[in-house]
Amino acid sequence: MILRLLAVDFLKIRRKGLWLLTFIGPIGVVALQMVNYGVRKDYLFSLTDDHWQQYIGNVSAFTPLAIILGIVILTSFMASIEDETNAWKQLIALPVSKREVYLSKFTMISCLLFVSSIILLLMTYFYGLTLGLGEDIPYLQIIQYSLLPFFASLPVLGLQLWLATVCTNQAIPTTVGVISVIFAYSAMYLPDWVIWKWPSLDNQWDQPYLNGLMGIAMGLAIYLIGMTDFKRRDVK
Amino acid sequence: MEYIVETNQLTKQFGKEKAVDGVEIRIPKGEIYGFLGPNGAGKTTTIRMLLGLMRPSSGSVHLFGKDLKNNRIAILKRVGSLVENPSYYPHLTAYENLEAIRKIVDVPRARMKEVLKLVRLQDAANKKVKGFSLGMKQRLGIAAALLHQPELLILDEPTNGLDPSGIIEMRKLIKQLPEKYGITVVISSHLLSEVDQMATTVGVISKGKMIFQDSIEAMRRIAQASIHLRVNDPKAVHQALLVYGQKADIKENSVAIQTTADEEVASIVQYLVEQGFAIYRVEEEKRSLENIFLEMTKEEQIR
Repeated sequence: MILRLLAVDFLKIRRKGLWLLTFIGPIGVVALQMVNYGVRKDYLFSLTDDHWQQYIGNVSAFTPLAIILGIVILTSFMASIEDETNAWKQLIALPVSKREVYLSKFTMISCLLFVSSIILLLMTYFYGLTLGLGEDIPYLQIIQYSLLPFFASLPVLGLQLWLATVCTNQAIPTTVGVISVIFAYSAMYLPDWVIWKWPSLDNQWDQPYLNGLMGIAMGLAIYLIGMTDFKRRDVK
Repeated sequence: MEYIVETNQLTKQFGKEKAVDGVEIRIPKGEIYGFLGPNGAGKTTTIRMLLGLMRPSSGSVHLFGKDLKNNRIAILKRVGSLVENPSYYPHLTAYENLEAIRKIVDVPRARMKEVLKLVRLQDAANKKVKGFSLGMKQRLGIAAALLHQPELLILDEPTNGLDPSGIIEMRKLIKQLPEKYGITVVISSHLLSEVDQMATTVGVISKGKMIFQDSIEAMRRIAQASIHLRVNDPKAVHQALLVYGQKADIKENSVAIQTTADEEVASIVQYLVEQGFAIYRVEEEKRSLENIFLEMTKEEQIR
């Protein structure tokens, strides 16, 4: 059943530009570095000898911002598709479990974000190759800094999806979303336990994996809370 | 007797206010059940509880003899619904809108063509719903509700906002469902005239309480129209009518008689003229649902 619901959710986002956003996000992040390296490659190269390290650092400075922004936009878009003619009432009156409806929405947006992360991985790698950053390509790090932010941002996804599905007034998730983006932007000033810091992969132990693991655990917890609340509520 | 829809002391409370209060609905198979009530009486809330969209504060809903609380999915497989304004995805075509439902209810693709044909939308199947008229959207909603061949169809104000030809068309469509497919239909409305032409059983709800539930014939007897005669001397006419053997009521400057049969009215008028009364107007007054509600609630209080 969940696969059929997922197929329906992907059908519903046709012609709505969600796929376009999925592609624009990672392309934008790498495009910023194209400008950066296009303008002052020599200067950047003069700062350090580990050019790959520096390049990955530059790319990943914008990754958390893009992914949080992506989550906010995708969740509110998804909710607006159902809210527009209050299609929730039609959907929930069908023989489906509300838990599965929620799981399907979560899975769909996760899929889009994961595709985004894969594109980011490929873009980072191939643009890096053209810059001549050296023979020693740190594959593991490229993979880490492209895919881990996705897992680390699952708690934010859980929160935004929850707000977007249960709030009839979309101003609430949008406001929280704006604050989320500001938090993601000022990640370095936040303490380690704040979920909006996690996509930056920064922590006091210097272990990026930790953020990914915490993200999965906390994401699951917030997802379960959101789903329980969604199931409990009356459909307007 | 087995009922398709049966509610027991169904109640829904919002804060302190009881939107639905101890409603008992009984709908036998194959009926068209007209669910009547003024706006805000609790019709939509009741219907939402029948579909499991809202949880009752207390009481229970049984559809097909099963408790909705524990068998929601199994029951909803046999129920089609259209609640309030039609829901659709404007950026998708009619066909894609149905496909989004077909995937969930798991019926063959051919069924989509069938229902589109049934509501005469086959030519607009590949057009985006955004450009549809309200009537077309409403028909698409019905098509979606019929997609999985439900045994019970629940329609909330299906003719709301339709033009007269749309209403007639919708009525025709709904009327044929029990005969052709054995579907039991629940249809809510705030217009008595609307339900009068389709329903076989009627339930009236007012301020959250069911105040009437019986066959349409019983309802018609209550809702019967009356003839108002405006005359020069109402009191004398009233006297004369009583002598003639016709029950009559004196209103401000007219006399009301309950019969509407053409011959009877004609002979009464002829009689009055022969008696030398001047008749200024002979008017038929249909009693509005509002009036009937008022009378019903009054009776309720007296009892």
